[in-house]
Amino acid sequence: MFNYLIQGIFAGLIFSLLALGYTLVYGVLRLINFAHSEVLMTGGFAGYFYLHYTIGQHLVSGNIGETLFYIVTGVLISGVAGTVVAVAIERFAYRPLRRRNAPKLAYLISAIGASYFLLNLAGKEFGRYPTATSQPFDNHVVFTLWGGQISMYDFVILAASIVLLVTIDWIVSRTKMGRAIRAVAQDVETASLMGVNVNRTIAGTFALGGFMGGVAGFFVAINQGVAYDMGFKPALFAFTAAVLGGIGNVRGAMIGGVVLGIVMFTPIYWLGQPWLEEVIAFSVLVLILLFRPTGLLGERLGRSA
Amino acid sequence: MSSLMARMKNMYTTLNAADARRICTAVAGGLVLALMTGPDGSITSPLYGVRESFLTTHVIGYIIFGLALGVLMTFRAKTKDGTWRRVRTTPRKTFVQMLAASRNALRTAALSLTALVSVVVALLFADFSGPPAPHKMSWHEIFHQFLFTRTYGYLLLVLALWFAIANQLFQLSDKRLRSFPKPALILGGLVVTLFLALCADPFLPARFSLNALSPASKHSMFHHWTTYFWLVLGAAIIIPWVFKRRPTGERRSSRQMVALTTSPSMRFLTYLIAGFVVLEAPKYLSTYWQITLYQQIGVFCLLAIGLNIVVGFAGLLDLGYVAFYAIGAYTTAYFSGSLPVQPPFHLNPFLTIPCAIIVAMLAGVLLGLPTLRLRGDYLAIVTLGFGEIIYVLANDWVRLTGGSIGTGLVSNFSIHLLGINYVWNESNPLSYYYLLIAILLPAIFLFDFLNNSRVGRSWAAIREDEVAAASLGINALKYKVMAFAMGASTAGAAGVFTAVKVGTLFPNSFVLQLSITILVLVIFGGMGSIVGVLCGAIILQWVPSYLNFHAYLGFQESDLYLYIGALLIVMMIFRPQGIIPSRRRLREFNDAEEGLGSADPLGAINQETPT
Repeated sequence: MFNYLIQGIFAGLIFSLLALGYTLVYGVLRLINFAHSEVLMTGGFAGYFYLHYTIGQHLVSGNIGETLFYIVTGVLISGVAGTVVAVAIERFAYRPLRRRNAPKLAYLISAIGASYFLLNLAGKEFGRYPTATSQPFDNHVVFTLWGGQISMYDFVILAASIVLLVTIDWIVSRTKMGRAIRAVAQDVETASLMGVNVNRTIAGTFALGGFMGGVAGFFVAINQGVAYDMGFKPALFAFTAAVLGGIGNVRGAMIGGVVLGIVMFTPIYWLGQPWLEEVIAFSVLVLILLFRPTGLLGERLGRSA
Repeated sequence: MSSLMARMKNMYTTLNAADARRICTAVAGGLVLALMTGPDGSITSPLYGVRESFLTTHVIGYIIFGLALGVLMTFRAKTKDGTWRRVRTTPRKTFVQMLAASRNALRTAALSLTALVSVVVALLFADFSGPPAPHKMSWHEIFHQFLFTRTYGYLLLVLALWFAIANQLFQLSDKRLRSFPKPALILGGLVVTLFLALCADPFLPARFSLNALSPASKHSMFHHWTTYFWLVLGAAIIIPWVFKRRPTGERRSSRQMVALTTSPSMRFLTYLIAGFVVLEAPKYLSTYWQITLYQQIGVFCLLAIGLNIVVGFAGLLDLGYVAFYAIGAYTTAYFSGSLPVQPPFHLNPFLTIPCAIIVAMLAGVLLGLPTLRLRGDYLAIVTLGFGEIIYVLANDWVRLTGGSIGTGLVSNFSIHLLGINYVWNESNPLSYYYLLIAILLPAIFLFDFLNNSRVGRSWAAIREDEVAAASLGINALKYKVMAFAMGASTAGAAGVFTAVKVGTLFPNSFVLQLSITILVLVIFGGMGSIVGVLCGAIILQWVPSYLNFHAYLGFQESDLYLYIGALLIVMMIFRPQGIIPSRRRLREFNDAEEGLGSADPLGAINQETPT
């Protein structure tokens, strides 16, 4: 049981990273960015190619310096790839509509289109079969806690996500850009009257979310390999996590991810059917939307469902 | 010359960074197009697809295409804001207005357009009835493909039809034709009829050959009764035409023409022709197209008009629509005993149609009641999740559905009544088609009726402003659930037809991609307009089948969703209302762009003020 709990926590950390993208974009645009799953996919492929060319078929020695090097560079490369794609999505699927003041349905559909386009372009260029990624470190079990095994991979995810989550919290709450994001989220018109460049802020929001999504993709790629449709399910769970924590709320997304991971994986211990995790996740989503649409921490911005 | 040079220089100097960016974007678009149409890559040899796409010669074409597009866009932008030319003081006439100004031009345009359309229709029809192209063909072979079919016959037939209609509408002058002696006209007309009968008569086994012309041959057309039928018909048309006296020098005004096209008799004629085409034309198609017509086009028309109720009429974005389709299909499988779980009694698929409709409707209500209170974008995600859950159940709940290895064989439609025993089978695809039409046509009329009734008005009110609708006493939840349930039951019915035709059900036929495809059919055609949605479904389902049919076009089926994704974005940017929009939806879209009303329950972006 403890094994499932740990699995849930670490899967949940990845959901948190991804959920940040949803929550940030939702904060400023009041939109669910349906194309966010492709950000994860791009990050995953960037990580795959990076590791493929640097490590390839070799086994890594596993000393701490080497591990650290591969993780840091891999995170950066995947994050940047995710950023580029997220900004491109904003530029080509959202901005033309925003300029024209289109209804919200148009944004949703255009984002679905962008998601499908990127997904299938990746499928076309990289083939439609899942591929394992070269391992940047030796994934041995570090210690066992009440029957739950904690591996090197879990440690890496824990460290990286804590660093990233703290950074993003700092960016949003302390820096000038974070202030611009919060201002646009509160009131677009007033923010632009106060001298905030709305377009740049929105692009920046997408970039921040994209970086986190790309990093999440890197970790998914190391763990489960890459495939053109690897983004779909994590993105659905991440959205659930964002709603669980209160969409539009940055800290809510972080907590929501971990809570969702635990809620999703732990019952599998008793139920014994791994495929039920999706059913659980969506039941959680529907229940949350019905009984506490503002999420655990409350929707900081915007109206309730 | 020097003024041109000066003008060029002026144009050059006014270019700025925005124009450069625009041109670069267009060229990049051309390159993406090259990537989309290029060969497949593979992750084991990275960049293979990219490299090969750009090494081929056609990429130059794409770059030129992109450049041309960029230059055009720049030109348009520059002339619009007046940098390159004086700003117009009087508003420019639109193309249609210019045409309307001169009746002659309108006539010419209408005539040439309809003639072009008829020629294309005839060629396509000829192509449909020809053999499939199994391999990459040279242009010579493609030409042969057309030669061997009854191309000329169809061409002539359609042109004659066009001429008859155009003559009726515009009263073309046939003075020159009438100057021939009457016996020659009649004889010529009969010869043409004979030629038409030879080429286009579907009952005639012979192809165009001299053998068929000589009465001595066994395969001669003169031994076949239909030839005489056509001759009599031809004579019945030609002889009155030759002897008819008609006033000369009179033309109908454009208003009279419009009145003619909308008159009840013309509308009746349109229905008649449409009915005839829907019922009769499939008989002359080759088997491939008969199957496609049922499986790819007919079923998807049903799905699309069902989703149109949810998305188009009620304005709810349903991304899990395929779940109801799956429920319908698996219900059929259950009642024919092909699932691991045995039903209490077996049912003929005819009787499972109402069962599937009811089960799908119940599923729709069960999903709708809790979730339809939600905001539009939440609803989209929840329905997406529902679709995924149904897929997971079909795939992983092996003890109920048989899992990914598929169900057992689903029994076929059959009639055992009053001494009639007929079982639908593969060898006659049209029997399925007619059955589907028998469901589809009533559904179309029912939905059209609903949309124009109190229910439809309530849907429109909810779609446009839910709060205002509620304040007028409309129970929004009730009507939304109703739309959801009706859409679901339509999908359930479509599921029965698919299950019966396919025979064995696999969970992979009910993936999310299918939901998106159906959504694209609705959006492409025009949300809320039944005619538009049907057209969208027919066109978008026909094009991939056509590309598959002709291997020489080099279309890979796996790329279909790539194009669908691109189409979605392009439609949303340039024509969000669809190709044939419903008038009301078009106005809603325009209003929203000017910041009036909330075009749909999601509301325009700029209007929401956080509380």
